Amino acid sequence: MNKAVNSLIPPEFFSARFISFIVLLVLGIYLMTLYPMTKLVTGLTDPFYSPTLLILPLIGLFRLTCYAYRKDYHRHLFNHPVACSIGFRGEFKGRSYTGETRFFRVENLHRWFMYFSVAILPFFYYDIAISIIRYPGYNYVISLGTILLVINTILVTVYTLSCHAIRHLVGGNIDCYSCQHSIRGKIFRGQSRINRHHETYAWLSLSMFFLVDLFIRSVAVWHFLNPVLLHW
Amino acid sequence: MDKINLKIYRKDPSVDEKEHYDTFEVPYVDGMVVLDAVRYVEENLDTTLAIRWNCKAAKCGSCSAEINGFPRLMCKTRIDKVGFNITVNPMGAFPLIKDLVTDVTGNWDILRKIPPFTPKELGPDQHFSMKQEDVERSKEFRQCIECFLCQDVCHVVREHYTDYFGPRHIVKAASLDMHPMDTIDRSTFLNKEGGLGYCNITKCCQEVCPEHIVITDNAIIQEKERAVDLTYDPLAMLIKGRRKKEKRVV
Ligand code: SF4
Ligand code: SF4
Ligand code: FES
Repeated sequence: MNKAVNSLIPPEFFSARFISFIVLLVLGIYLMTLYPMTKLVTGLTDPFYSPTLLILPLIGLFRLTCYAYRKDYHRHLFNHPVACSIGFRGEFKGRSYTGETRFFRVENLHRWFMYFSVAILPFFYYDIAISIIRYPGYNYVISLGTILLVINTILVTVYTLSCHAIRHLVGGNIDCYSCQHSIRGKIFRGQSRINRHHETYAWLSLSMFFLVDLFIRSVAVWHFLNPVLLHW
Repeated sequence: MDKINLKIYRKDPSVDEKEHYDTFEVPYVDGMVVLDAVRYVEENLDTTLAIRWNCKAAKCGSCSAEINGFPRLMCKTRIDKVGFNITVNPMGAFPLIKDLVTDVTGNWDILRKIPPFTPKELGPDQHFSMKQEDVERSKEFRQCIECFLCQDVCHVVREHYTDYFGPRHIVKAASLDMHPMDTIDRSTFLNKEGGLGYCNITKCCQEVCPEHIVITDNAIIQEKERAVDLTYDPLAMLIKGRRKKEKRVV
């Protein structure tokens, strides 16, 4: 019985840290909808009318099952363990733990979300193009928004391409680079160089995501101007 | 002259019910490592102290201990890096023999379970030469000195009673799996028998490894991804199925 419950709801979900995180998250989203300048579009408040919302779950699942974030939430939300030092790790004998064997087995589906995330990468570049050619009054424009979108896109691209599942597919799954796979060996070593900093890219790109989104939204409700830097 | 305040864990399980700590003052000499201080105690202050060491060059892996709560080799930890108040504990993940000496034989039993190196059969006129990139990949894993610090710090091995082999043994399996001449895929075996799923890739093993083996990224995640190929990713299963390895251990 206990086993069955464990496989549905992992014991980690009852930890105080996790619960407080969820409470803060819900509160944050609620406060966002109360923001006085938010416009209603077809009866829905920002951001719930945007089509981005449709792909958000897949992007979210890509990040939730990403090895970098896995490390972070297993450590900091679930205390498994919060630090490596003995005595400070918030981990103790007899605490129930199933790792990635029951509920968190879903983390093995990361590969699937990775395929999807690679597929939507071109849309980020499409957005950059739009920001250049669709500025009212000019033919071509480099605006502050363009610069932010470029930085955001580069970070998202590097984060996605430095994924451990990609590392495996480009060459990690080969045992013999001496046989007929020397090219794959080269790609593997090249990818490993960015993969080493996967955690950094994960957090940089996530923060940039939020900042750029905030910027775009502020521009949309005229809180913020999108200054033209260069134009033709 | 500077003095080191050294607090050492003491317990002889055959007589003592509970552990206690003895504190010693050890004279500091420039460039000293924790092992020097502990040996000073053993030679001059209390000869009943049990310690284990061999090479004093971070190569034999026998002097593992927990220094100020962090698993390290005593011979590779400089006093000027950890400060002059030092507490030394034995590795907590293994049964205690006496004082700082623990029994790590359980690890040999696990190592014996891992399917051994199974090379391709080569005909009399065939030969195999290995390029540098292949050498480097398995060389990383072969640098393991079996200090078992990674096993000690791993929360799965230390705090949870599971059938997880532990990081050192995944490194061993990976070193065989990624050898160009090997014909076996051990990932499914590791997942089923070795409890690989219990590792939640929190990377403490990688943090403590004195040989700087990138345990989690290069061995554990690679093995997990191989297991994903065979179990969770239909696309990869299809491709793998068509050109699958000669043998697979399940
Ligand atoms: S990464 Fe895995 S094997 Fe290494 S310490 Fe963490 S749980 Fe243990
Ligand atoms: S992998 Fe590193 S920490 Fe683990 S036993 Fe080998 S040398 Fe020690
Ligand atoms: S004495 Fe050999 S590793 Fe420390």
